[in-house]
Amino acid sequence: MQVGEEQAAVNGLAGLFEQHRAELLRFLAARCGGRDEAEDLLQDLWIKASAQPAGPIANGRAYLYRMANNLVLDQLRGRQRAMARDRNWLAEEGGGAQASEDRPDPSLPADEALIQRQEAGLLERAISTLPAGAQRALRLHRLEGYPQGEVAEIMGISRSGVEKHLVVAMKHLRNALADCGFLAGAASKGQGKPGGAELLTENKL
Amino acid sequence: MNRDEDTIIAEAVAWHSASVRDDMDWAGFTAWLEADPRHRQAYDEVALTDALLAEHQDVLRGAPVATAANDHDGDAAAPAPYALRRRGLMRWAGVAIAASLIAVLVVPQFLRAPVQSYATGDAARTIALTDGSTVRLAPHSTLSVEGSNQERMVLAGGGWFDIRHDPGRRLAISAGGLEISDIGTRFDVQADGGQVRVEVAEGEVQVVSQALSRPIRLTRGRGLLFDADGGTALVAPVAQENIGEWRNGRLSYDSVPLALVAADLSRYAGVRVTVAAPLRDRQFSGTLVIGDGEAALRDLSSLMQLELGGGAGAYRLGERR
Repeated sequence: MQVGEEQAAVNGLAGLFEQHRAELLRFLAARCGGRDEAEDLLQDLWIKASAQPAGPIANGRAYLYRMANNLVLDQLRGRQRAMARDRNWLAEEGGGAQASEDRPDPSLPADEALIQRQEAGLLERAISTLPAGAQRALRLHRLEGYPQGEVAEIMGISRSGVEKHLVVAMKHLRNALADCGFLAGAASKGQGKPGGAELLTENKL
Repeated sequence: MNRDEDTIIAEAVAWHSASVRDDMDWAGFTAWLEADPRHRQAYDEVALTDALLAEHQDVLRGAPVATAANDHDGDAAAPAPYALRRRGLMRWAGVAIAASLIAVLVVPQFLRAPVQSYATGDAARTIALTDGSTVRLAPHSTLSVEGSNQERMVLAGGGWFDIRHDPGRRLAISAGGLEISDIGTRFDVQADGGQVRVEVAEGEVQVVSQALSRPIRLTRGRGLLFDADGGTALVAPVAQENIGEWRNGRLSYDSVPLALVAADLSRYAGVRVTVAAPLRDRQFSGTLVIGDGEAALRDLSSLMQLELGGGAGAYRLGERR
């Protein structure tokens, strides 16, 4: 790792990228489920890494992996947003409840605002129906930003107790989002496996 | 293949929270993803859920919404930055939020009382602490001060801190996912969404975060750019005369992503501007005069050779055609 960090300081991340290229590609392929898409994302990653200022970066390999992981997430998020827009567009066409919002063009930023409201409202409701412990752990850790150790102190429980609460909370929120179709687009539009979306439904029931 | 969904989700959550740490086992994570296609799907869903939580953090968190609830009928003078920026949401979610307020307000009370909260609208304001320290709170920002010695602060938005050093007091400022402590200094903090910048003009501070493998010590003339969502932290030198410059009506940048510049203009210059996704990481270097927000925006777009679209209230920077 020492050598890698030296290089990161001198060449920026681009040098480190070359050094870890093969494992990054393997990770991206596993992460997005397709080799072609992984190649594209690796290209994006290279561009991003080359554009970084050559400041000191602690643990450059982890940094590259995180950038790669985030590229996949950004893509998922983009697909999920696109699905949400399509859904609202259809709802409006059919004279849905959003008619009073007067959004004739779904590409306007105002349309984003509608999606934002839907997402936030859904999360708000899902959080409010969480069991008390899970709700408190989630609020403290994920919304107030307390590290898990401090959440454990505040709640007077063990670190693993906090982790368990957080798993319960994440599972509950994920189910709430999936039930309302907020996760379907992202998961099922991935490569290959058309069975992915069905599998989710099965698991949930 | 018989492992049930609960186990998979629990593993996905564990990998996801580990992914922001420097000791994350990326090879192990790759192997886990390869072991079963359901793993990837579970991870996608957990990561997306968490991304949504982070994105709506300000709204879902109780405190700022408390002021917003009074503002939903459009009282522009009320000092409620969140309401101003997200009025549509407040109107829509007003009932749900009011119902959840009771639950939310219990949390800080049991942490430590008393709490003083400050929120700014279009203008900055100076907050004097009892020991002679001051905080210049940027426009559209909130600061809460807790504890008998005012030793705990939470910042959302921007602030210039001029803190008297007192070895007997353990002062800590939370901003985004960061905690700044061990302070005896002047420094500037911006916390916006998942990104936090800390720039030290004098003295030094220590910065810790769950996402960082070890504390970072920032000395005079150094700045930290922290991205909680990306789990990235970058330390770089900052020209001292540029730190906290917004107080004098200027913003200077040296290779800063356009997304951050846009967030600054929204906060300090009062112009709402979004940046087309492919441009968000493009870097800007230069100085903007922010007395007239729209002029600053025109300067930015011409310096970067970008196209400025949209209109008052919602500008948009895109690629020139």
